[in-house]
Amino acid sequence: MRARDINKVELVKQKAIELLVEVGFEGFTMNKLAKVCGISVATLYIYYQDKDDLILKVGMEEVQRMSAIMLENFDPECSFAEGLRQQWKNRARCILENPVSAQMIEQLRSSTYQEKVFEAFGEVFREPLGKFTQNAIERGEIAPMPLESYWSVAFGPLYNLLRFHNEGKSLSGKPFVLTDEVLWSAFDMVLKGLKK
Amino acid sequence: MEINIKHILLFKTDIRTEGDKRYIGKIMEEQQIDQWTVDLHDIDCVLRIVSPTLKEEEVIELVVKNGYQCEILT
Repeated sequence: MRARDINKVELVKQKAIELLVEVGFEGFTMNKLAKVCGISVATLYIYYQDKDDLILKVGMEEVQRMSAIMLENFDPECSFAEGLRQQWKNRARCILENPVSAQMIEQLRSSTYQEKVFEAFGEVFREPLGKFTQNAIERGEIAPMPLESYWSVAFGPLYNLLRFHNEGKSLSGKPFVLTDEVLWSAFDMVLKGLKK
Repeated sequence: MEINIKHILLFKTDIRTEGDKRYIGKIMEEQQIDQWTVDLHDIDCVLRIVSPTLKEEEVIELVVKNGYQCEILT
């Protein structure tokens, strides 16, 4: 039995992400993917059952990989300010270093695969981040509030800034590059807004 | 689950719609073929079968007999 060629599998994953972002779900076919990978369609079907299976597997692996990066050095027991700052640092780094994967995950989020995506993220984040915010509430650092309100204030600004940066443009098409100054001044305001 | 590559059989077909797929599904069941999929999104409508016992010619005969095109995918 021929062992799985790890390099080929990695190549297929990488090209699949790029192709998905380039042509979208409808435009994505096993044929096109096989071509850009320089392999036969048959080879693809050895590793994956069909298009849905491929997209899901590749997508979920990326979600898990990026989630792990986002949780690096994150201690749910630390202070609210420190913890949130670490989250901003990690998520910014992760998305800046993996712009194509980030875009793909956004696409997945607004697709029929979204449930699986939410589930996968939820699995990784729910416990540590849940504990983190619970600790902050118990310590009186922040007030209890609906999760959506919290998340929108805590992370909405970050994701917006990252989106501007990845698109190279901000409001009304003005050219934009995310700098530390812009990032952390936004963070300071978020912190001010959330802290009791 | 590690799949034995030798057990994976791939075919180009004209099984295009959900209806076609359901019909083929019944045939697969009769033949006790457990693991099979058809990629309806793909231009080749790839039929993928995982079986330690079936031979390619057997599958082709089976599918063609039931009114669909079927050839080995290269």
